[in-house]
Amino acid sequence: MKRIWTRTAAGLALAALAMIVFSSAASGSGRAPAAGYPRDATLITSGTQWGNIAGTNPYVGNYAAGMVGLVNETLLRYDPIKDVYINWLAKSAKWTGPKQYTLVVRSGIKWADGKAFTGNDVKYNVGLGHFNTAFWNNLWQNVRTIPVKGNTVVFNFKGTPNYVQWQNLMWNLPMISPTQARPLITSSAKLTTYSPANPVGTGPYKIDTTGWDPTTRVVFVRKSTWWAAAQHLSPSPKPKYIIDLVNTSNTNSLNAVLAGVEDLNNNFLPGVNTLVKQGKVQTYYKSSPYMLSANTAWLEPNTRVKPLNDLYFRKALAEALNPKQYASVAESGLVRTANSTGLLPTWNKYVNRTAVTKYGFKYSTSAAKALLKAHGYKLVGGYFTNKDGSAINLDISVPQGWSDWEAARDMIIANAKAAGIRITAKVKDYNTWQSDRNTGKFDLVIDNAYQISDNPWTYWNGIFHMPVITKGTGQTFANFERYNNTTAWKLVQRLDKTPPSQKTTIMSINKQLQTILMQRLPMIPLWYNGVWAQFTSQHWKNWPSSTTSRKYMPAMWRGYLQMTGIDMITHLAPR
Amino acid sequence: MLRYFLRKLFVYGLTFVLAVTIDWSIPHLMPGNPVLTLMGRIQIQDPKVAQQLYAHYMRAFNLDLPLWKQYWYFWVSLFHGDLGTSILQFPSSVTSIIVHAAPYTLGLLIPAILLSWYAGNKVGALAARRKVLDNTVLPLGYALTATPYMWLAIILSWTLAVIWRVFPVGYGYDPTATRGFTWAFIGSLAYHWFLPFMSLFLVSFGGWAIGMRNMIIYELESDYAHYLGALGAPQRLIRKYAFRNAMLPQITGLALSLGTILGGALVTEIVFSYPGLGYQIYRAITNEDYFVIQGIFLFIIIGVLVANFLIDIAYLIVDPRTRTGMMAGGGS
Repeated sequence: MKRIWTRTAAGLALAALAMIVFSSAASGSGRAPAAGYPRDATLITSGTQWGNIAGTNPYVGNYAAGMVGLVNETLLRYDPIKDVYINWLAKSAKWTGPKQYTLVVRSGIKWADGKAFTGNDVKYNVGLGHFNTAFWNNLWQNVRTIPVKGNTVVFNFKGTPNYVQWQNLMWNLPMISPTQARPLITSSAKLTTYSPANPVGTGPYKIDTTGWDPTTRVVFVRKSTWWAAAQHLSPSPKPKYIIDLVNTSNTNSLNAVLAGVEDLNNNFLPGVNTLVKQGKVQTYYKSSPYMLSANTAWLEPNTRVKPLNDLYFRKALAEALNPKQYASVAESGLVRTANSTGLLPTWNKYVNRTAVTKYGFKYSTSAAKALLKAHGYKLVGGYFTNKDGSAINLDISVPQGWSDWEAARDMIIANAKAAGIRITAKVKDYNTWQSDRNTGKFDLVIDNAYQISDNPWTYWNGIFHMPVITKGTGQTFANFERYNNTTAWKLVQRLDKTPPSQKTTIMSINKQLQTILMQRLPMIPLWYNGVWAQFTSQHWKNWPSSTTSRKYMPAMWRGYLQMTGIDMITHLAPR
Repeated sequence: MLRYFLRKLFVYGLTFVLAVTIDWSIPHLMPGNPVLTLMGRIQIQDPKVAQQLYAHYMRAFNLDLPLWKQYWYFWVSLFHGDLGTSILQFPSSVTSIIVHAAPYTLGLLIPAILLSWYAGNKVGALAARRKVLDNTVLPLGYALTATPYMWLAIILSWTLAVIWRVFPVGYGYDPTATRGFTWAFIGSLAYHWFLPFMSLFLVSFGGWAIGMRNMIIYELESDYAHYLGALGAPQRLIRKYAFRNAMLPQITGLALSLGTILGGALVTEIVFSYPGLGYQIYRAITNEDYFVIQGIFLFIIIGVLVANFLIDIAYLIVDPRTRTGMMAGGGS
């Protein structure tokens, strides 16, 4: 009997182990190199994919990192460091009339299946916008006709085009193969579930299906030819394979970078500045701020809550804050402090310095106190009360576990306390934080909802979008501070509808909007979150750097490969 | 015998319904809205598009229905073998996520449970009659069994993976490995499996060793052991009987501890970023992925119930008193 038990136990244990081997190995047969991906020909990245890889649908938002850029390319690209568009699949793309946009497709581009990339392919891709689940459906609604003649595609609009949004779409809409997609995307629902195992694209890589493991990695393998290299628009990428790993944790990521497992990591890793000084990793800048800027982090007041509905209280709160401390201590000097407009460095040309000097807020505890006193707030027992004498106790929340933001939150509480404003931390997990932000169940949050783009319109739209939805889902993508300003909102809409040729008008609108922002303070800019990127040269060299000509975005984040991330890859050289 | 099994099946069936109901309810009681999380990843600039997408996803996940209807459809889908679609990993099916992750968890869990149980009982029994071993095993066993799974996992990870870099810090295999039935890949799997396995094994081992050591001492001091000794039975025979009797509570303990060990496996996977069910469930909970949470817990519920049922059967085989009692009493 005893032997039977022993054998049974050993047998079950072995069977369980065999199960791992079988299930992991079974899906991996095929043409992958038998001895593993050769490290000297493989670039390993991580920092984008949280949780399992959902698939290859480029519209849902959780697709395999690197797919848009490496496999599916866009018509244009945008360089946020130089603030210029790069003609890519399109040889040219411009407004040829008040309601007409003309795009000429480059000759000689081929899909991975050997078919030529044509003007009709562009028409098909943009035309997918007629499905109401397409994120560009609102723009497609305004398209009247799309005549195609050879490589030339003309978009004729019904009404005044949304010039800004349309231009933004041109460098964000990935081109998928109509041959592959047409039989699969037949309805609005199927647009969201489209996810071919081996997407056909025009890019320099294709997915290595033998290496695909949604729990661990996506593997890209270089195509034998790539149109951009053949046409001398770009160097041919050197890594034969690119493996993007699913994120594990910041600690593991840090170890993986130091151990040379990962070549590039795009997570926020606290203390990376120390490692740069020790020469263990590299960053875009050799010293502070180390990272390029990706988005603005701001303190978002709920402007429907007393006393945050009072402009002077918001101004006093802004003056009580010390963003330099948050950038240098909470963020370890890895970021820049935001100016009072919150406009990212990419949009520097729009910043009105005179207005910033005149209306911008500065850290001054005494000025904050004086402002509150001057507007009827009473200091009782070290803390200000409302004008009616009721106590003020605001809550502030950040997503739980975002350690840098938690540190900044605590500093904000301390700064506010010094100015007599009582703020208490409220701990919320990310989903609760997001849900409460969207539905207005908060006093103060730190937020960074809007990413870098080619036009500050995305930033203004985020701040001033109206109307404020108070029921159901609440605010799903903008104006979480619930700020009601019809003048500002009209300016935002006008900016979207202003042709890019009217540069003076564009500048004027931007100046007006930033003045409104600084005068009315619907939100308080704090710092510019970084394009977190740390890399090592153990296997690959020639990384982007501020001191070389390789001024590229060092990120595999979604949306960043078309923002020169692909140039980072094409300029890497084996060690 | 039949009545015994029918009664057991009824109890397990009832437990299943209750457990599944709780499994369905808890994610729905979580604050927040997973569809908003999903939409947060999509580049939307227009409120109309946002509303359209929101309505589409709410409909796709049946989240626009009243709760009772969602519950009803959950059972209907369950009986059709459909565990739903992941929200976080849309449009991946929950079944595909479980199929990918379950082998890692089972491959970790089953050897850890069986080997720790076997080795713990063996060493515990030896410790009961060898003073030197008792002086070492006892304190070590207490220390191990009192150690939370996660804590030991962190210690092992920190020392052996981070500081000394003897073992890898994460993943189920080397990221540059190509999968296939090769020794290189099997070696890579084993290399990544070892530390999570040891975390589970060591903690469980301590518990079983102490339990068996105490039971053997108790049995050796009981009347039947003394009586056997007085009759002149050899010590080897007495220990054999003592071991058999001591095994019974250990089997019961095994059934009772399955849930704890499973919980330990889940957190251990999180520490080692081991791509099993624990890691998946962690991601699902933090992103309110209702269907993945429900699906994985359902898998766990079924697993624990089946394991308990098997242990019930094993108990019948091992303990003649249960068998005899069942025959005589018609099965209680």
